[in-house]
Amino acid sequence: MLFVQVMQGVMEGIFLFLIASGLTLIFGVSRIVNFAHGSFYMVGAFLTYQIYPWIAEGTALGFFVTILICGLLVAALGLLFEVFLLRRVYHAEELMQLVLTLAAVLIIRDVTKFLWGLDDVTVSLPDALSGAAVIGGTYLPTYQLVMVGVGVVVLAAVWGFLKFTHAGIILRAATDDRGMVALLGTNQAHVFSSVFAIGCFLAGIAGGFAAAFESINYLLDTRVIVLAFIVVVIGGLGNFYGALYASLAVGILKALGLLFAPRLSMVIIFLLMAVVLLIRSLRRTTE
Amino acid sequence: MAQGDGTRADSETALQRRDPYAINWRLVAAVVVLQAVLLVVSPPLVVFALIEVMIFALYASALNLLLSFSGMVSFGHAVYFGLGAYGLALSITHFDFPIVLGIIAGPLVSAFFGLVYGILCVQLTAIYAAMLTLACAEVTYAVVFQWFDVTGGDSGISGHVPTMLGLAPHQFGLVVLCVVTVAILMLWRVVYSPLGLTIRAVGQNPARAAALGHGRKSVQLIAFVISAFFSGVAGTLFGIFHGNVFPDYVGVLFTVDGLLMVVLGGLYSFGAGIYGAIVYKLLDNLAAHYFQYWQLVVGVIIVIVVIVSPSGIAGLVRRVVERIGRRL
Repeated sequence: MLFVQVMQGVMEGIFLFLIASGLTLIFGVSRIVNFAHGSFYMVGAFLTYQIYPWIAEGTALGFFVTILICGLLVAALGLLFEVFLLRRVYHAEELMQLVLTLAAVLIIRDVTKFLWGLDDVTVSLPDALSGAAVIGGTYLPTYQLVMVGVGVVVLAAVWGFLKFTHAGIILRAATDDRGMVALLGTNQAHVFSSVFAIGCFLAGIAGGFAAAFESINYLLDTRVIVLAFIVVVIGGLGNFYGALYASLAVGILKALGLLFAPRLSMVIIFLLMAVVLLIRSLRRTTE
Repeated sequence: MAQGDGTRADSETALQRRDPYAINWRLVAAVVVLQAVLLVVSPPLVVFALIEVMIFALYASALNLLLSFSGMVSFGHAVYFGLGAYGLALSITHFDFPIVLGIIAGPLVSAFFGLVYGILCVQLTAIYAAMLTLACAEVTYAVVFQWFDVTGGDSGISGHVPTMLGLAPHQFGLVVLCVVTVAILMLWRVVYSPLGLTIRAVGQNPARAAALGHGRKSVQLIAFVISAFFSGVAGTLFGIFHGNVFPDYVGVLFTVDGLLMVVLGGLYSFGAGIYGAIVYKLLDNLAAHYFQYWQLVVGVIIVIVVIVSPSGIAGLVRRVVERIGRRL
């Protein structure tokens, strides 16, 4: 029972990681706290619902291709948002940036309602992924194992990108000191746009995988964004690896909380975030 | 010598010129009379809308004290709004307070929580402080939502106070008008008093304010408590208006409403909360009536405000008034 619940937590943690890693990368480089990230995730989920039947319903390959396409579409949407709107407020005060992304939440939600209605929709899992595997005497859904695999692949890909590619080096440098990167002759606008698109791509594929796992509706955005924020804050804003640990911790804590103290599970997570924030502030003042 | 005369003459004309921070009583009287007339002559449905606008004008103005002047962002201000209503309800249902004392208790409960949460939140700055206000708000919401024995959980509390105190809608509207007017004038006095000057200084440049001997934390804490108190006044009025209280009053939607109102109204001006509440509630009531996707409308308007005119409606009003003033 405990093991099953922990696995459930790990899977939720991986979802969270896919969302939160994009959020934290974007914040690290452009200092934008993107409330609309949950909305991009939701769009990814609905697009998967829409496109999957067109590609090849029922096959695992079609499923992955669909999710890839949806990720790219969401990245394109994010890019449009960044280029036409967000870019204009990089120099405005923080609150303006927050409110602009909040406005995007409202707009995307109503457009979603208009396109896909108010009811829950579901995506049926491809047969190859819908079974269960026996590990150590307990049944685990295949899909959970697949998600763990996906998490590892994405983590490896982003890690490799950050570590070894030229763009990754620029990205890390920009997180560290964006002014210096600009001085060294890199076009900041391109860096900001690409990192935003990458973040949205991650949110989009997360939404795609979530669509097959739970029923989706227009309220998905707020449900997800708050948890993602908690993860990002606990992991340290802009800290990619911090987001990894924090999302696994929050995922497992939430799953165990549901088992032992279902009424308090969210409270515990928020308290964790508050404690982490306060401890960090103490450390900063003593330095 | 001549220069000395010049400065004295300058200061005299400055004295004769109106102090821009003094309360413009003529304007206040005009608005109050206009609003009172509207309340008396309008049909009940419109009166309800007007009452809601007034209550939210106070709530948004209290939030605006933080956002525009103190340099803090609160992502959980509905807590202080909602706890006003809960303070009223719980003091009557659990402590058998008479209604009058309950009404006083509401804002005080808000101020108390403003103090407790404020002490935590001012330890941090910028987005970190904002995230901590969110954490405080969510914990409060969870407790209110799940402590069924005390708060009634999801079904809230009702029947503790007669809806609108048993008054006719326009009578209650006049009561709300009095309370909100006094409260907003008090907020004005706060912002443009020496204390307000300190708050604004800290909001604009904490380092320089600190160099002048004003620590950021204590000043921001004072602003936070004042803001929580007046949010609580608004929440208490809201609780009386509907005669009930639900966990939603503490929830994230009311927080977002307040934030959007202030930004619509125009950051960095005192009137932001008032203008924002009027326009936002107008959209809410009208657009929602005719158009299912009214949040889309709000979203687009906010995008336009942020991109094209960051000073919001207040900036627009200021420009129009200046232009008319130049013509006259």
